[in-house]
Amino acid sequence: MKYEKRTELSLLLIAGLVLLNGYLAVTLANHQFSYQGLSIISALFVFWTLISLTIRRYFSSADPLLLPLAVFLASIGLTLILRLRPDLFIPQAMWLSAGLIAFIITVIIFRQPEGISQYKYLCGITGIILLVFTIAFGVDIGGNKNWIILGPVRFQPAEFAKLLIIIFLAAYLSERRQLLTYATRHYGPLTLPHPRFIAPLMVLWALTMAMLIVQRDLGSALLYFGTTVTMAYMASGRWSYVALALCMFFTGSAICYLIFPHVQVRIDIWLNPWADPTGRSYQIVQSLFALGSGGLLGSGLTFGYPSIIPEVHTDFIFAAIGEELGLAGTAAVIIAYILIVYRAFRAALASQIPFTMLLAGGLGVLTALQVFIIIGGVTKFLPLTGITLPLISYGGSSMVASFILLGMLFAISEATATP
Amino acid sequence: MNIHDIPHKAIRRSIHKAALFSIALLVLLLSYVVYIQVIESNTLAFHPLNRRTAETSRKVERGQITDIHGKVLALSKLSQQEYQREYPYDAVFSHVVGYDSPKYGKTGIEGIYDGYLSGQINPEKRLGAISQLFANGAGNTVVLTVDAQLQQVAYQALGNHRGAIVVMSPKTGAILAMVSRPSFDPNTLDTTWNSISQAASSPLLNRAAQGLYPPGSIIKVMIAEAALAEQLADKNHQFTCSGSLKIGSDYTLTESNNIAHGKLNLREALAVSCNVTFGQLALDLGRTRMAKYFERYGFTQLISSDIQESANQLPDFAKLNDGDLAQTGIGQGSLLVTPLRMAMLASTFANKGIMMKPYLVQKIMTPDGTILNQTSPVAWLSPADSKLASQVADMMVSVVKEGTGSAAALRDIQVAGKTGTAENPHGASHSWFIGFAPADNPQVAVAVIVENAGSGGTVAAPLARQILLQALR
Repeated sequence: MKYEKRTELSLLLIAGLVLLNGYLAVTLANHQFSYQGLSIISALFVFWTLISLTIRRYFSSADPLLLPLAVFLASIGLTLILRLRPDLFIPQAMWLSAGLIAFIITVIIFRQPEGISQYKYLCGITGIILLVFTIAFGVDIGGNKNWIILGPVRFQPAEFAKLLIIIFLAAYLSERRQLLTYATRHYGPLTLPHPRFIAPLMVLWALTMAMLIVQRDLGSALLYFGTTVTMAYMASGRWSYVALALCMFFTGSAICYLIFPHVQVRIDIWLNPWADPTGRSYQIVQSLFALGSGGLLGSGLTFGYPSIIPEVHTDFIFAAIGEELGLAGTAAVIIAYILIVYRAFRAALASQIPFTMLLAGGLGVLTALQVFIIIGGVTKFLPLTGITLPLISYGGSSMVASFILLGMLFAISEATATP
Repeated sequence: MNIHDIPHKAIRRSIHKAALFSIALLVLLLSYVVYIQVIESNTLAFHPLNRRTAETSRKVERGQITDIHGKVLALSKLSQQEYQREYPYDAVFSHVVGYDSPKYGKTGIEGIYDGYLSGQINPEKRLGAISQLFANGAGNTVVLTVDAQLQQVAYQALGNHRGAIVVMSPKTGAILAMVSRPSFDPNTLDTTWNSISQAASSPLLNRAAQGLYPPGSIIKVMIAEAALAEQLADKNHQFTCSGSLKIGSDYTLTESNNIAHGKLNLREALAVSCNVTFGQLALDLGRTRMAKYFERYGFTQLISSDIQESANQLPDFAKLNDGDLAQTGIGQGSLLVTPLRMAMLASTFANKGIMMKPYLVQKIMTPDGTILNQTSPVAWLSPADSKLASQVADMMVSVVKEGTGSAAALRDIQVAGKTGTAENPHGASHSWFIGFAPADNPQVAVAVIVENAGSGGTVAAPLARQILLQALR
């Protein structure tokens, strides 16, 4: 058996044991054990093993860490959701299967990743339309005004829009990188490219500001903006982009802070949560209590009180991990994300084609920033924002989008591995 | 492949930097989470607004609080799947033991020893999920130094008067009884909260450690020691009392009842509680030395112990005029002290000039009887020389034998004491008595205050007698 295949299968087995152990710990302590639940877990286990065996026939050299890391994080998420909201366990298990299917579809679509770059405008425009749609018609569900309801289907288009926009940016920036780097103009100390070439970046800046103002979503704004800027830097190697972008973002944010009271409230809560611990900063203070009470090893699954925190199964699921699994759990989760980011950049650096280099790098930056913003938010490192923790938070859109992201990385790593 | 042969070198270099930046962000985040969950862990876990301790304590059996002989003062009983706190002695111990109410929080021992009583502080809690294997279900037992029988006698002795009684062991500092009246029943706290929290008589206040009163003449024992130490008087020095002391042009300090005591030595002055003598001694000591003695006897600092006390109020000695300085010498003016400190003052003369640190908790035991913590007596201050302390103790014997404190005398046991009748703006004088017995080998010291009840010798002294009798039984 080939090294990659063996590694992937044995890591998947370990991730499966994490899920089995979590399921037994929660259900035995709560007296909810059922063979139905056990069979769901077995089905998932068989499903991802089959996926691994199938794709390894065609993708023999792809990164063997990506799928197991995703399954590991999803297993922790599934365990926590079973513990926090047992009624959402089966839906989340379905979303995990949907994610695995999305993974395999993405891997097939991206089997020749360089070909995707020709669809860049389709991707870019679809992404922007999805975003504009969300901004214009977004419905507030559970505190986040980024849901679109189409008849029976409810989803968060922003989760997919960010992937489409990254594909667009990777293609656009890799084609124009010479122009971005050399066709420059001097504005005082700043060296900037011709305005024509940074037009798409300005559009994205305008969109993120709209997100901030209309949707009150500082987290998504920061995520889109940070990813765009970092990708522009990766393509051009020019710090002036970063400097200009940071200036624009902070100017925009400062104006928003001065004009919009809801932005002020968010920032004030962040600066001093103890001023109103039972009112406006209730959530963040409860989240800190949960993390502190967890300590090194946590209270153990089902022995903590994470349900004191509102919205604990989506945005605040990290605090629940901190309380019941302690630093052991939170560190494991963060390290798993670090490994995903590391593998993404590894694929980027091993790649020979600028498009796939930028795409994999952009996906790495996106993952890092998303994790940083949401975990930073619930730990009071950053102002609190309502974005999901990839693969762990409850929710279909986020789960499927995360698996699409990993599918892209998987395909790129295969393409780069073959000499 | 040589690095220079790799195509797209520039873009590779910037991706490399972006990779380092992304991973650095997450490493920074991880370090911050470590900070929150390790360094800030205890602060957050035991933060008063964190409901987790309260939630847990409803699920586990909270430990008992018992007196020194094991009589149960507080226990948890299971009703409707939740534990509820019961206090078998009703209002008798409410200020010592405190209360544990889901609605109004925790006070007293229930509050200070919450971590032990709820079992949250146990070391196995650090083991995460594994700690569930050790869970024996119950919190730890806190054994107090108080004697339930003595406490009941003291509680009944005060009757319906407002006031406080502190009984302690002068040699160890162990509190044997601590009563404050009016009291409240912690069993019915949730239904009676409004009336007791708003009552003008403040039943929630622990007068024994938090009530601030002018000490009146009982402070004279300290002034006597100061006078001996500063050699302003010796055993034989004769003072003259003409019934009043004119200070400056506009102030006169008078004896109660305007009696002139004539010629008398320090022992006799203390026995009859001569205001003129002690007012004069305060003037002779002067502002600096008076301030120094109040500091030496610990009035300027709080005791860090398991008793929540109020800070005593001292006058600003540097700014006192002579009249107010003389007033301070007889325990009046702006000087305010707690009954606990007066019991400690009596204990100092009973314990060769050494003031022991008072304590309420003797030991903490796990449900299976393993001792987690045991208090050993600690000397807090040494304000007086042992020879001078025993001279003052002798003078205090005279107070009971032939002076104002005769109502505290016991038939076979020599009692030392001092009475006080403290004028105050709230009505009739407060009646004070501090003392200890047996005088030759002190086992118990006591401070009694009965608010607005009149003379110390007629009201507080007989109460102290009852308590000493019970305590020495």
